Amino acid sequence: MDARVMIELRDLQVDYLVQRHGYRSIKEYLVSFGSKKLLERKRIIEQVDLDIHTGECFGIVGRNGSGKSTLLRVLAGIVAPSGGSARVHGRVAPMLALGVGLEPELNGLENARLCAALLGGDRSAIQRTLEHVRAFAGLAEDDLGMQVKRYSTGMMARLGFAIATANDPEILLIDEVLAVGDAEFQMRCYAHIDTLKSKGSTVIFVSHSLGEVQKLCDRAGCMEHGRMVMVGGTHEVGMHYHRLLGIPTNP
Amino acid sequence: MSGTAVFRQQGLRALSWPLLFEVAWKNVRLRYKSSLLGFVWTLLNPVLYLLIFLFIFSKAFAQVENYPVFALSGLILWTFFATTSAHVQGALVENSGVLRSLAVPPLVFPLAQWMAGVFNLVLSLLPFALILAAFGWRPAPVHLLVLPALLVFTLFVFGVGLALSALHVFFRDVGLLWSALLPAFFYLTPIAYPPDLVPEDLRWVAGMNPLYWFVDLFRTVVCDSTPPAFEQWVRTILLAVAALAMGMLVFRSLRPGFIANY
Repeated sequence: MDARVMIELRDLQVDYLVQRHGYRSIKEYLVSFGSKKLLERKRIIEQVDLDIHTGECFGIVGRNGSGKSTLLRVLAGIVAPSGGSARVHGRVAPMLALGVGLEPELNGLENARLCAALLGGDRSAIQRTLEHVRAFAGLAEDDLGMQVKRYSTGMMARLGFAIATANDPEILLIDEVLAVGDAEFQMRCYAHIDTLKSKGSTVIFVSHSLGEVQKLCDRAGCMEHGRMVMVGGTHEVGMHYHRLLGIPTNP
Repeated sequence: MSGTAVFRQQGLRALSWPLLFEVAWKNVRLRYKSSLLGFVWTLLNPVLYLLIFLFIFSKAFAQVENYPVFALSGLILWTFFATTSAHVQGALVENSGVLRSLAVPPLVFPLAQWMAGVFNLVLSLLPFALILAAFGWRPAPVHLLVLPALLVFTLFVFGVGLALSALHVFFRDVGLLWSALLPAFFYLTPIAYPPDLVPEDLRWVAGMNPLYWFVDLFRTVVCDSTPPAFEQWVRTILLAVAALAMGMLVFRSLRPGFIANY
């Protein structure tokens, strides 16, 4: 299979405008209006260069606050780069949190409509999502007509996963959402991810758990202080990550 | 969903009609869902106020011609202002989970709340007209001017709500502040009382309140059944444009900081 480049990051830099410390009340802001700036720039990601190819599953490990989730947000189009560029060649299905966009008061199908629209779908994409959810979510028609607030976590995860993968995503972004489902759900997800991969989809998988990354991914990167400090095979990146954490590695 | 995306500075997804429609429609349904009376609630609040006003004030303001029609026309505007400005104001923070995890343009949420409010207002016009008719108000072709008058007013409310929604991301006390300010505005605006009740030398204070001019415009149509004067239109349209411009300005200048501060 030809390995087309799906994601190209060039000297990527992301700054967040963070509220200055202790600036939580409007009074302080108004009192000092103009004299102090409300926001200060904080560098979250810098100098990241990365190519990810078709059909590849790329794992990203790193400590809390190392910039993993922000990198996924850039790939999902939620955050614009502050410098450099991020090219994403394909339809992206972001799964950055579980059950995001689901409205508890609405039923499963109503939620599928809503979330398909939130994911950027047009009318036909919304229709496809409804069909896909009916066929593949593993939820009975009765369940789909039930308010989502009565769903179990597992049912919610199934609905969310079915919605996210409805429109044959070419790039799947997963931020540890699989961790919350039960074992059966995780198995189904891994199976589904394998199917998508064999169809040529690209998967970016962010996790704290080295085990999951090694199970699922072909290649991995380790992030530290906003930089991609290492990219390579899952084993060597795993060793490096463990060294960072100060965990003794047994080769 | 686009095939290829290149993200540079500010190159994020734009508003789309299906998205706006689905979110607005969700807002409409959520307002009526799991409540027994549903749509009736929207009418109940102004009608309750009307009953209280009639009970307390109709003798006091005997000089007002047809006080019930006067009071209800003010209450229609007030109810829309109070509920919709509050809904729009909370729209970004309430959807912070979605905004953090999906590439949705943030403007969708305030805009969809406003659309739901306008939808509700339009639906409520017929029952309100029936209540007005019960108090001897008679519809005439001139009353069609309520539609442009309301349009200008709703745009003003959106501008105010939009600025508040952006500030709310950074200051959680904006919501509390607004709910504390609303009752004050209610008494500052001639809803229950005639505007000429305000002493002559303090009229300019009353005129500082933008709502004063919208209520004035609306009542010219509804109560006096005359087309508003040119300057009444100009003044309210300018107020609406100013509010919208301020709302967009605050929203756009604070937007780059949203993602880190939701």
